[in-house]
Amino acid sequence: MEKFKKVISQYPFLGFIIAYLVLLCVPTIFFTDLYQSHLSSLIFVNIIVAAGLNIVKGYCGQVTVGHVGLYAVGSYTAGCMFMYLGSDLWMTLPAAIIVTGLFGIAFGIPSFRLEGPYLALATLGGGEAIRLFIENGEFFGSTYGISSISQPVIFGVPFDTPDKYYYISMPVMLIAVYFSYSILKSSIGRAFMSVREDPISAAASGIDIKKYKILAFILSAMFAGAAGAVYAHLPPGYIHPNNYTVIEMVTFLAMVVFGGLGHIWGGIIGAIIITIVYDLTRPLYEYQLFIFGLTIVLTILFMPKGIGGFIDKIFIDKRFKKKKVEEGK
Amino acid sequence: MLLKTKNLMKAFGGLKAIDKVDFELPAGEIRGIIGPNGSGKSTFFNLVSGVYDPDPGSYIEFDGHDITDEPPHKIGALGLSRTFQLLRLYQDMSVINNVMSGYHTRVKYKFFDAVIGRKKIWDQEKEIKDEMMELLSFVGLADYAELNASELSGGQRRLLVLARAIAMKPKLLMLDEPAAGLSPVNVDNLMKIIMQLKDKYGLTLIIIEHILKVVMDTCNTVTVLDHGQKIAEGTPSQVKDDNAVIEAYLGKKMNDEEMRKALAV
Repeated sequence: MEKFKKVISQYPFLGFIIAYLVLLCVPTIFFTDLYQSHLSSLIFVNIIVAAGLNIVKGYCGQVTVGHVGLYAVGSYTAGCMFMYLGSDLWMTLPAAIIVTGLFGIAFGIPSFRLEGPYLALATLGGGEAIRLFIENGEFFGSTYGISSISQPVIFGVPFDTPDKYYYISMPVMLIAVYFSYSILKSSIGRAFMSVREDPISAAASGIDIKKYKILAFILSAMFAGAAGAVYAHLPPGYIHPNNYTVIEMVTFLAMVVFGGLGHIWGGIIGAIIITIVYDLTRPLYEYQLFIFGLTIVLTILFMPKGIGGFIDKIFIDKRFKKKKVEEGK
Repeated sequence: MLLKTKNLMKAFGGLKAIDKVDFELPAGEIRGIIGPNGSGKSTFFNLVSGVYDPDPGSYIEFDGHDITDEPPHKIGALGLSRTFQLLRLYQDMSVINNVMSGYHTRVKYKFFDAVIGRKKIWDQEKEIKDEMMELLSFVGLADYAELNASELSGGQRRLLVLARAIAMKPKLLMLDEPAAGLSPVNVDNLMKIIMQLKDKYGLTLIIIEHILKVVMDTCNTVTVLDHGQKIAEGTPSQVKDDNAVIEAYLGKKMNDEEMRKALAV
């Protein structure tokens, strides 16, 4: 076990290959109907968004409430490319990532001067503006949305049903998580954290604050763009402006907060739990928002670092105590 | 000269916080800066490290580079490290991450290597971590490496700030009241560690300190500021007997005549 841990820490890529193989087997063993595959794909999409949101919100500490707008940009880049050019996922995914990254710059620039709630307001305005722009634009299909977006075809096999689409969304999610892992584990992640904790002393340590702020916004926008494109192509391939409201934003925030702000797996844990809970409580839909709002407040009050941070803390304290006991002897 | 300022000025509104200070510091020296509260010591640090922009006409040179208008992170990258009076620790980060983020300017790998997560990243990260753990055990915080910085005691925080400032292997280290709020035993301990680090890394030091014993014992030369002006400079013993310094700290010495006048009114 120790040896295995050491190898993984030297080659984190291996861990993701193992995860890939495991996830590859999951549907054949556990899934009984198409709905479960569909739900898994939704979870994967949410994981990508939450992993990206964790970079800018959890690590870099920039309060952004307009992330759902970037997610919409990703979806509509994919949708419009399909509608006007007939492109499939292999074309729309990179295009969505690039376009959303550019939008990320626009969201990041206000962070040079604004902080906390003011930045939240600015980004909220940005996100809503994007949604309203789409809703009122003929070009984007206005309130009809864009429907029957194609699913990718590999070697003549169309991946057009939820159980097949699972094999498309899952690798995309794993690659995204891998990128977020390697970024946040490197000096870039530490620079993000120090910008969050104290910009002045970060600058004194030679960290370019503006560069890292804008970088965090661009990276997380790219994640949102990728998620948006995967979501747009998710069977039955239908996107509508109502999928990108503030309510969705609150759900994404709930994922990151509940999973653990600034915890490397925070967004992922939160996305899995919240998406499943959200789905199980669908019959109680009138209370869902209330419950999610309450979850955010309670988590911040009693478990400020979310589930991930809470579990980490237990282990860290345990190791610290053990060390002290050993020294005592 | 490692650090040179010429005609350094900074005014906040009508208040001249730093008024035409010429300052020269050769490499390898330990320089103390003393002065009453509000005399401009911290402002001087903030100007040199780029936190404040100096007023026009000022000139600051560090290690041969003109840093007058450079932003703080560029000055940091040139090898000028500093601590803050109010510590400015990264409270919500682990102790080891605090120190490792101080290493930032020395990280060799490129951005895209990190994004792709190549093997050499993980090797280098391990090297960095080992080196920083060594530094932590040198200041005596190795056991606390995984804990949050907010869980440390006041004395340990001061050590951590010191370690974080050293992590970038600076040429010049500026300490803003490193021993404030420490008990006498801890002060001695801290100064011992600072001196060991100085020898180990070949540092040049500037120390702001109110505990005069620290300044008098450790500094080669002392600069005294008052009302933003440099009123004295010299070895500790010279400064101690300087009339201007005594006046700034204790008030003016009066002769009998003046005393009588003052009491009569």
